[in-house]
Amino acid sequence: MGLRPPNKRPVNTVFQSYALFPHMNVEDNVGFGLRMQKVDRSEVRERVNETIDLVQLSGLNTRRPGALSGGQQQRVALARALVNRPKVLLLDEPLGALDLKLRQTMQLELKDIQNDVGITFVYVTHDQEEALTMSDRIGVMNEGKLVQVGPSEDIYESPSNLFVASFVGDMCFLPGEIAGPGSVRLTGGEIVQAKTDSDPGTSITLTVRPEKLHLYGDMSEPPPGRNVVKGTVSRRTFYGDSLSYEVGIGASGSFDVTVENKPGMRRWEVGDEVVVDFHPEAAAALAE
Amino acid sequence: MLSGESSTVEAANPRLERSAQRRESWRGFLHAVPAYVYLVVFFMLPLIIVFVFSFASRGRTGKPVLEGWNVDSWARLSEPLVRTITTRSVVIAILNTVFCLVIGYLFAYWIATRRKQSTRNFLLILVLIPFWSNFLVRTYAWRMLLDADGYITQLGELTGLWSRLLFTETAVFIGLLYGYLPFMVLPLYAAIERIDWSLVEAGRDLYASGAMAFRKITLPLSRPGIIAGSILVFIPSLGAYVTPDILGGAKTTLLGNFIVTQFGAARNWPFGSAVSGAILIVMLLATIVYFRTGGRTI
Repeated sequence: MGLRPPNKRPVNTVFQSYALFPHMNVEDNVGFGLRMQKVDRSEVRERVNETIDLVQLSGLNTRRPGALSGGQQQRVALARALVNRPKVLLLDEPLGALDLKLRQTMQLELKDIQNDVGITFVYVTHDQEEALTMSDRIGVMNEGKLVQVGPSEDIYESPSNLFVASFVGDMCFLPGEIAGPGSVRLTGGEIVQAKTDSDPGTSITLTVRPEKLHLYGDMSEPPPGRNVVKGTVSRRTFYGDSLSYEVGIGASGSFDVTVENKPGMRRWEVGDEVVVDFHPEAAAALAE
Repeated sequence: MLSGESSTVEAANPRLERSAQRRESWRGFLHAVPAYVYLVVFFMLPLIIVFVFSFASRGRTGKPVLEGWNVDSWARLSEPLVRTITTRSVVIAILNTVFCLVIGYLFAYWIATRRKQSTRNFLLILVLIPFWSNFLVRTYAWRMLLDADGYITQLGELTGLWSRLLFTETAVFIGLLYGYLPFMVLPLYAAIERIDWSLVEAGRDLYASGAMAFRKITLPLSRPGIIAGSILVFIPSLGAYVTPDILGGAKTTLLGNFIVTQFGAARNWPFGSAVSGAILIVMLLATIVYFRTGGRTI
């Protein structure tokens, strides 16, 4: 595939701007690729109608793109690419121009369509949540280089470097150095256990997800075998389904702690002395 | 109390809106009054006068007489001389439009696809510069170039391809092409520059060759420019007067010169008026047909 010029590869693209031909109606847009490949007229018609049905645009065949809503235009763009039955379909931020509600609906629909047609979708997005929910495998790119490839859960749970850790999802970062095997000394001197493959003495950044942190009022409360760090609540943000606490721990920096808003959850006020608790498996020490 | 108030407001709304609309359209009309007055006095009225004169008769000294109304002048339009001149004019106007379109499209496309805005502006200014000098002066410049000792004639004689071109149909054609090319380039540039090139990219992604992508995407999307440019070139080419007069000599009479002769040397105002009126009516009909057949859509 790689040796053929781009317009001869069995790859089609859904453009970010859709790039629908404004002077052609829906079916002419969708049938463009087939006509260019000199596919038989009746077959073109059949496959165009099939694909228009697939993306649920039946009845709009003769509309011009200008007379369609954003979501409908998106479907035409998808149909126009899918009708060619490419080996790989490239989608360049296909849902970027849609509002949140429509984007969520289209995400599910795209996933269903992908399951139906069984074509590999290469889906470019800056929306990390979209990437996590829609992908089987994610490739994270930084400055044109692929920095990590793997299943969504691997990318989220064990980012291989600081860029991936900061790019995908929320993350707490605390500078420190390796104190011994599986042990990290934070700038303020606290020792915690974390996953690492760096040698003692290496300066690292401790990373841990906000939702994997717990808050307690006293050192005696957390279960044994966990990391505990004392701190003070310096900010509280209410998100509706959760609360976020910023907990300062002196010279070591601060943790952002997300606590689900469930009945019986203890609320903390700014200035409260708290203990931040997390499982050693939840934290990773990543070298620069 | 409150509900009563809101209901009166609702009831008053449509009336308010209508009166606001009326005021809006009245204000719009006021804005347009100077233009209306100008067009009626300096455009409509003279045209009506021309039209009226075409039914007048010619006095013994050639002075138009506003009595003895007849359609003789209109009947004369079928004379062989008129037909020859009309055919020649139409052919030259069509050829000029086609040549302007081909050359203008290539040039406009080239300008519109330059990456830097400053480069595009510079090239556009090159197109516009001739506009800033007098048309007569430029036409006389061509006369010198095409005359016996002109550079273009010398070049032709050197290569053995042509001799003196002045006072031939070719000279008129060259002059018209030169004169009206900018009218083609500018609307084409405006249309091509607006094209979203990701559409061409999409076409290429959908297996179109470069030529196919041009034919199916770029060309249809530049249609507004093609139409506007063609109208802007064809209409004045058909009625051209200065260029054929200076570069064509007495040999190549076009409609414009013919009309001038009728009003001048021939002293036959009614006939000149009839020829003018006929051209106007044909043009008007053509324009109406064009707009009726959906010329306004992309």
